[in-house]
Amino acid sequence: MPVDNLSRVRKSILPTEGDTWSIVAKRELPELSLDEALAKLQSWNLHVFMRAAGAMAAPGGGNPILPSDVVFIEPPLAT
Amino acid sequence: MYDLVIRNGKVVDGSGAPAYSADVAVNGNRIVKIGKITEAARSEVDAAGKVVTPGFIDPHTHFDAQLLWDGCAKPALSHGVTTIVSGNCSLSLAPLKAKHRMKLVGMFNQIEEMPLKAFKEGVVWDWETFSDYITRIRKGLAINVAPLVGHSVIRLWVMNDAAMERTATDAEIAEMQGVLRECLDAGAVGLSTSYVDMDERLQPVPSRYADAREVDALASVLGEYGRVLQIVPEFYDADLTIARLDQLAELSLKHNIPTTFSPLFVNADNLDAVARVMKRVDEQFDRGARVWPQVQTRPIDISFSFAVPSLLFMRMPTWYRIIRFGTPAEIMAAFSDPDNRSKLLQEASALGPLWPTLIFRHANTAANQKYIGQTLEQIAKARGTTPVEVMIDLSLEEELDAHFLSSGMGHNNDKAVGDLLSHPRVHIGASDGGAHILSFSTYGDTGYLFSHFVRDLEAMSLESAVKKITSDTAAIWGIPQRGLLQEGYVADIAVFDAATIERGEEKFVNDVPGDGYRYVRDSHGVDTVIVGGGVAWTAKDGYKDACGEVLPGAVAEKVAA
Repeated sequence: MPVDNLSRVRKSILPTEGDTWSIVAKRELPELSLDEALAKLQSWNLHVFMRAAGAMAAPGGGNPILPSDVVFIEPPLAT
Repeated sequence: MYDLVIRNGKVVDGSGAPAYSADVAVNGNRIVKIGKITEAARSEVDAAGKVVTPGFIDPHTHFDAQLLWDGCAKPALSHGVTTIVSGNCSLSLAPLKAKHRMKLVGMFNQIEEMPLKAFKEGVVWDWETFSDYITRIRKGLAINVAPLVGHSVIRLWVMNDAAMERTATDAEIAEMQGVLRECLDAGAVGLSTSYVDMDERLQPVPSRYADAREVDALASVLGEYGRVLQIVPEFYDADLTIARLDQLAELSLKHNIPTTFSPLFVNADNLDAVARVMKRVDEQFDRGARVWPQVQTRPIDISFSFAVPSLLFMRMPTWYRIIRFGTPAEIMAAFSDPDNRSKLLQEASALGPLWPTLIFRHANTAANQKYIGQTLEQIAKARGTTPVEVMIDLSLEEELDAHFLSSGMGHNNDKAVGDLLSHPRVHIGASDGGAHILSFSTYGDTGYLFSHFVRDLEAMSLESAVKKITSDTAAIWGIPQRGLLQEGYVADIAVFDAATIERGEEKFVNDVPGDGYRYVRDSHGVDTVIVGGGVAWTAKDGYKDACGEVLPGAVAEKVAA
């Protein structure tokens, strides 16, 4: 089955080096204002966002997005 | 004359073919004849009324430490398990520099709930490389071990503390590839990684600081050998799980490797989510990717005391902070302090329906023996208090050595679990054998498969169930010459009574180094377990020969990339 035949699933990205909320917001949601894009990204990615306090305390903290995180760039699909 | 003949049994050969009556002859470590055998043998097993199958393969265990003091991986072997895959979830005991030993022990303690004292008193640390660790566990090995190497450990080896802080440089990734090659050459069956686990500081484990570029580079090395990538995805969320299995599918296709993820639980409230995951699994398999979800057979039962941290309380920060970081005296003081107690009660209210159902299962004092087996609701009623308060009070009265059982917390929808286990693209596994030893027994899942899903529910045939945990598993993991009862195959064999096989009651035993205890289950209905042609265990005599090997073999043969 070619990749085009895969059913649609919720869109996500894997971060690249240096990705922050702002960088992801500008790259993936360019049609939105930065504030609006940030708010949406964070609401779609509570598994990352809600971890922020812990991650900030970690060495290298300050960017709560881990290099291995899945980051959703759209809301959950209607089921 | 043969070395060993198993006579009069019904052979279920692991291929899924119907059972048939036959004798099985063994010379050395090989099955040499299946059929009517009249010749004599040096040793015989009477299998009349029993089935004779390939030994079971458990693909998700954490016996890495236990193998250093127990080459039988007790009691897994007695349940018919002849091969275990160790080193799952990004954690293996090698390669490991001396300076990282306590870091790894901390991670094992936090993630797999292995007692610190067991490492302290049961492990003589005399290896660093993967090859040296393999040499160590080979001594007295009675069960076969197919060891994964952990991604977090490779990161620590190459990057030291930076492994827990940042992505790797190109040079570090290249070095990690070299270390992985050394491990695969030494006999590793693949690489494990984790996207969810937290270390002893409650910070992400090293593998979670790896970006996709690093994982791809390591997968490319697995491709050189045709070896397995195992991951722990964010199993609590279907969208995240699907994103991970898409990532696995791309790696599988690009590097021609098998991949597997675990766990996948099914409950009454996530049927749709699991259906979505399985739909994606099917789609990716149809593309040619190999993305095997592992599903365990047993429901989720969790026991705990407040003498050791339990993952059950992970999502209750006030409780978890106290029991994870407090000394016994501090925990008891916190439980006794009215203000703190009030906070605990308030936080516990979020799980209101849970507490009354907990069963009190162990006490040391004579006064509390009368409550054993009762629910907290019953005890609370007798004492005129609430279930949570009685849990705290009993813990104080027992100086924290009061044990509680939360039974059937999930994965207990028989129809849904049975359907999932029967799915042709589901890999039966995820036992976690050897881990979480203070929370639940990780032994006997195979007995439960046969007693519950084959015999009681008839969710699958005996032949299908045997195939799932023998030849299917060997094929997925690339373990040659095992998983089938065929002439020429290695003689890893289980003999059991299909009418009575089951897991025993969960009990706790004090057999862990450092005066530790663990929850285990005895096997019922298993008669004889043969590993590499040697009788490794019998119901009559217990543990015997030690003929286990490290699989798939120390000399790994590379496959075409």
